[in-house]
Amino acid sequence: MFLRSFFIQAGWNYERFQNLGFAFSLQPALEKIYPDREKLKAALLRHLQIFNTQPYMASFVLGNIARMEERAAAAGEGELKSLPGVKQALASSFASIGDRIFWGRLKPMTVQVCLLVWSACGFYGWLFTGMNEEAAFGVLLAGPLSGIAVYSIFSIYIRWTGLAAGYACGGSANCALDAANWPRLIRLLSAAGFAMSLAIALLSFGLLAGFNCGACRAPDLLLKIGLPVAVLALHRVLRALGRSVFFTAGLLLAVSVLAFSLLKLEPFKLYL
Amino acid sequence: MITLLKTFISAGLAGLLGLDAVQAGQFLFSRPAFVGPVLGWLNGCPLEGARLGILLELLYIDFIPVGGVVPPNGTAAAAVGVLAYSAGGLAPSLSFFIGMAAGVAYAPLESRLRASRSPLNNLVEAQVSAGNFELRRWLARAMLLENAAMGAYVLCAAGLAALLGLAPGLPRLYPGTDFAYSLMPWLGLSGLYFRFRTQVYKK
Repeated sequence: MFLRSFFIQAGWNYERFQNLGFAFSLQPALEKIYPDREKLKAALLRHLQIFNTQPYMASFVLGNIARMEERAAAAGEGELKSLPGVKQALASSFASIGDRIFWGRLKPMTVQVCLLVWSACGFYGWLFTGMNEEAAFGVLLAGPLSGIAVYSIFSIYIRWTGLAAGYACGGSANCALDAANWPRLIRLLSAAGFAMSLAIALLSFGLLAGFNCGACRAPDLLLKIGLPVAVLALHRVLRALGRSVFFTAGLLLAVSVLAFSLLKLEPFKLYL
Repeated sequence: MITLLKTFISAGLAGLLGLDAVQAGQFLFSRPAFVGPVLGWLNGCPLEGARLGILLELLYIDFIPVGGVVPPNGTAAAAVGVLAYSAGGLAPSLSFFIGMAAGVAYAPLESRLRASRSPLNNLVEAQVSAGNFELRRWLARAMLLENAAMGAYVLCAAGLAALLGLAPGLPRLYPGTDFAYSLMPWLGLSGLYFRFRTQVYKK
């Protein structure tokens, strides 16, 4: 079940979302619980109904439902009456927790880890796009792989412990929702993410100033630092107006092409 | 010939890595930050691949795949960006913007692929009702289709980028695209900074 849970979204569709992957993941447990083929068929059809949650947190639901099916096989089908309700309630709760932990915090943190590892290795190509510099392929790969490692270790741990925790308290509609102090974890991740964001922002402006320092006049330096600040402000304003980051990127591209390609203004570089 | 072969291999690899985004594993091997340097290395430009990858990542990280939302596809963006540079011969700055657009344009295709899987439910139910409990092949079929779609898309988009490279007067655009490209790290950092700032300071 654990290995199969990595494919829970393989058959994702708009009609019933993760149902195919859920039934596929639960199948080994169902085969063990129901040696009778008719009962196995009924169980599989039961789990081909609509299901959707955060993929890493699905393990909690899988463990719980496996336990419920096990009890139903032992005590009679009356036990199954509460199964759809419990499944739906847990799917919604864990989706909310998982989205905030994985998509909202850990995923952006992998980028931060990547940037920090690259900076620690002396590679600043991520900030200065036109700079000619050398970097070993190992260093270029170490950045993203560090982020992936942090993320994957945590997600595999959650998948593994989720199965066990869900199975341990199977049958309850709030099963394993207290398996960890989720609000505290979310707060900690937010704080860590913000600290890294701040460090990267300071590092970036420090590098920009450092690369220009001594080689250009104070007004030029102010302009070169002011321009990125203006980009930050523009993004913030357009975001508040409901525009995506691609709109801002497109706007910057259009203005730049107009100014430097069509009107042929003097090309300008942020760093020397 | 070698370039063409590398382009085909890169498209296939992008299709394979793209599966990690939704269908299998979700270890983040499909993210542009990883796809960029890997395809860059394969095509002889690891540094530019890494740079294109991380800058695309900084913009694409803004989108969260919550619920049934299909976000712009970072794998397609990075693969097309790297191939536009390495095989198409375009400037890195223009390759970046082409990759960015290619990732956005892939989302409707992905949405159609997801919709095309809905009829599978009736087929799978009919199969299980008939006593055949083999679910694996349906999932394998869905993944194969997704892989092929991504590979073909990357190949087509890279081909179009290469054709664009033949357009006369294209280098005249480069001062503008280069400048806009130099601002992209700051745009990405802005998204990253304000995402966590909002989380920390919200009541």
